[in-house]
Amino acid sequence: MSQSSEPRDDPRQIAKWAERYARSRTIPFLVQWVFILLIVVVLGALSQGALTAWRHEQAGVQWACVVAIAVVTLGLLWFSVARWGQQQIWRISQWVYGKEGYAAYRGAGAAAGAAKRMRWVPAAAALLALYHLVGAVLAGLHMLPMKLLLPFSAPCMILFLGVMIVSQRLGFWAWLWPVLYGLHAVLLAAGAPLPFVERWEFVHIIVAVFGWGALSMVVGHLYSRYALRRLKKLARSGLSETGADAPGPGPEPGGDGA
Amino acid sequence: MTDLDRTIHEPARLRIVTILSGVDVADFNFLLETLGLTKGNLSSHIDRLERAGYVEVTKSFKGKMPHTEFRLTSDGREALAAYWDSLDAIRALRDNTGSEQ
Repeated sequence: MSQSSEPRDDPRQIAKWAERYARSRTIPFLVQWVFILLIVVVLGALSQGALTAWRHEQAGVQWACVVAIAVVTLGLLWFSVARWGQQQIWRISQWVYGKEGYAAYRGAGAAAGAAKRMRWVPAAAALLALYHLVGAVLAGLHMLPMKLLLPFSAPCMILFLGVMIVSQRLGFWAWLWPVLYGLHAVLLAAGAPLPFVERWEFVHIIVAVFGWGALSMVVGHLYSRYALRRLKKLARSGLSETGADAPGPGPEPGGDGA
Repeated sequence: MTDLDRTIHEPARLRIVTILSGVDVADFNFLLETLGLTKGNLSSHIDRLERAGYVEVTKSFKGKMPHTEFRLTSDGREALAAYWDSLDAIRALRDNTGSEQ
């Protein structure tokens, strides 16, 4: 299909807006994001509790926190891979998207190769986690200033995000995250006068990981609203006068009516 | 004169296959909401496209609710590409005839 010189009202534009909409549906990502954020907050609180208990030599509380950390981590792993977790994300996404239905874009011919292509993701994520664990340990041992934790993280994180965006064929909105991440890291490394100094320097890595990530997903969601409006306008134009509403057989009772 | 595929040429079906050409998969409610058709109309158009081998229909359950997904087959993708080519050829022919007159 040659689509480069189409006028704005060409029906072929319908395919473009359908693709843009499908590539910008970010609610499932946001739902996962909120869940991960909650887990991280819980893990952070438990870690702080374990550390405080260790300082005050309260072995019982310390071990209780360590066990709780292990349970929460296992819970996170289980939720990430279990069918139940996927069903919950689907249910919440459907509730947020209301009755507009579901459409997905993975690129032409992607379905067959998608599973094979995504096998490397857990390995890459594990490497990313290990790299950041090294960074956290170095920061904990005062061998890496907390201020430089984000610049330390940026090369690895930006590479990971870039590969994920390209392989999952996400929309333009997804690039906001690595771009803002990199910009934030450069400003921090260059000593730009940013907020969160001294004992609050750890906030920078939290803002970069969670803040910029969430922002890019919100932008994606807003763009999906615009794309859907354009798509509906194009798809519905001219239908009523062309006999498309001729009576057909009745829908099946219940469900989606198909 | 180039023949147009009558299955795709019908406006609602053209829109259905065009939407499906832009996505990997879409469900019944998405097409229903986007096109503003009645459930019966959409079902009958999908049925026609499925019989032509242009659309693959997958029925499943999400929890207790039935869920129907559609994807364009490779035949459907080829038919749509051929349709646009035919339409462009007709337009070009019309434009050339108009300029000669």
